[in-house]
Formats: sequence, C-alpha cells, structure tokens
Amino acid sequence: MQSQITPQEARAALDTIDRGRRRVIDEIDLPRWYWWGLALGWIALGYITDLKHPWLTAAATLVFGAVHSAVAQRVASGRHRTHQLSVSRELTGARTARLVIGSVASLAIVTIAGALAASADGARHPVTIASVFVAVIIVLGGPQLLAWVRRRAAQAGAS
Amino acid sequence: MIAPRFDELIHPGTRLSLVALLASADWAEFAFLREQLGLSDSALSKQLSTLEEAGYVSIDRPIRDRRRRVRARLTDTGRSAFEGHVAALRQIVGSADLERIAV
Repeated sequence: MQSQITPQEARAALDTIDRGRRRVIDEIDLPRWYWWGLALGWIALGYITDLKHPWLTAAATLVFGAVHSAVAQRVASGRHRTHQLSVSRELTGARTARLVIGSVASLAIVTIAGALAASADGARHPVTIASVFVAVIIVLGGPQLLAWVRRRAAQAGAS
Repeated sequence: MIAPRFDELIHPGTRLSLVALLASADWAEFAFLREQLGLSDSALSKQLSTLEEAGYVSIDRPIRDRRRRVRARLTDTGRSAFEGHVAALRQIVGSADLERIAV
C-alpha cells in the first residue's frame, strides 16, 4: 500500500495531520473568567490588607489561597478552556500549570514591592494601589502568557 | 522507535483529520469535532462508527448539565495505528527526498 500513494500525497497527508494538531493547540488556554476572577480577588485582598486588621487579612489570604488552589488545580494546565475538549498532556506538558502558578507567586512579590513604594510615597491605600496595578498585569498579561505557551507547543511539534 | 505502518482505514482525508484531532487530545466532544471538521451529524457519526468498529476510537456518553454528551477518544490501538501511519508517511516523504538528492 505504501507505494500506492505518491510522496506529494504523503506530504499533503502530513500537512493535514499538522493542521489537526494546530487546531488543538489553539484550544490551549485558561478560561477568561480565571484571569478576571484572579484580578478582582487580588484587588479585594489588597483592599482588605489596607484595612489593617491582621486577623481579617490572614483569614482573607487563607480563603483566597484555598479558592485559587481549588480553581487552579482544574484549569491552570490550560487543557480545559472549554468543556468540549481535553487537550493532551503531551501537548501542554506539565510546565503550563507551573508557569501559571509561578507567575502568580511572582506577582505577589511585585505587589509587596509596589505597596512598599506607594507607602514610602505617602499613599493612604498602598496595597490597594499596588493590587490594582498587578490586577491590570493579570488581565492583560495572562492571555499573553498562554499565547506564548501555544507558540511553544506549535514549535515543539514542528521541530 | 515506532514501526512505519500505512493504515488504509485512517488515511482517507476526513478520517485522517478526525484522528489527527483526537491524537492531540485526551478526548473531544462530538460538537467540537463537528465544528472543526465542518461535517454534518450523520457524516461524523458514520466516521466515528467506522473507527469504533475497528477498535481505534471509544465513545463515552457522560451526562453534564443534565444533557447527555458524546465524547470520543483514541484507544491505545488507535493511537498506535496513527503513530505508525505518520511514521509511514514520513518514510515515503523521506525516501523521495533522498532519491531527489541522489539524482
């Protein structure tokens, strides 16, 4: 049977297979609500911190961490943007979830640094200001991060 | 190392596109496959049935949002057949490239 198709036909078949793979790669993403929810939660946590009630800040941080952990376990892999498809783990690798969680952890450091800078500048609500700044980064940068993951996945398939 | 094995069942255009989608996924719902391939319900059902009869695809019918969904996934047999088919296609292309260089 192998001799019954020409190299041109074989090449066309490989192109078809590559297109199928790319269609699935296009589905690697996190739901939009994840980024918005994270951003709003971040601002809320910043605002609560500025109220300067340590027990309230601690409780809010715990709730935020628990909710984020539960949600991230399900969506941070980027394999379940919709309910219609589960992208293969081989395509995304384990790095997507690590990248998302690592980025969120890095933004906590940015928030602390921003709050210290705003506080030194005499701002009345330094953590809220820093949190709004980070929330904008989350909403704008989150989808860009996943776009980068998709490009990497496509390049891995092409190589 | 995957042994090249041309698979006549997978090779026809629509089925190849369908298997290529499933090969990159753990599972895909009927609606997703229909939309991506631009097929009618009956045409997609027919292709899935052919692959299921060959043991290449398994069909699940989970209930979500009180509605029964249809999910298709490649079986291990189907995945092996697909990988062998891709290897066979690459071999054909590779041999042709070598011949062209030799001329």
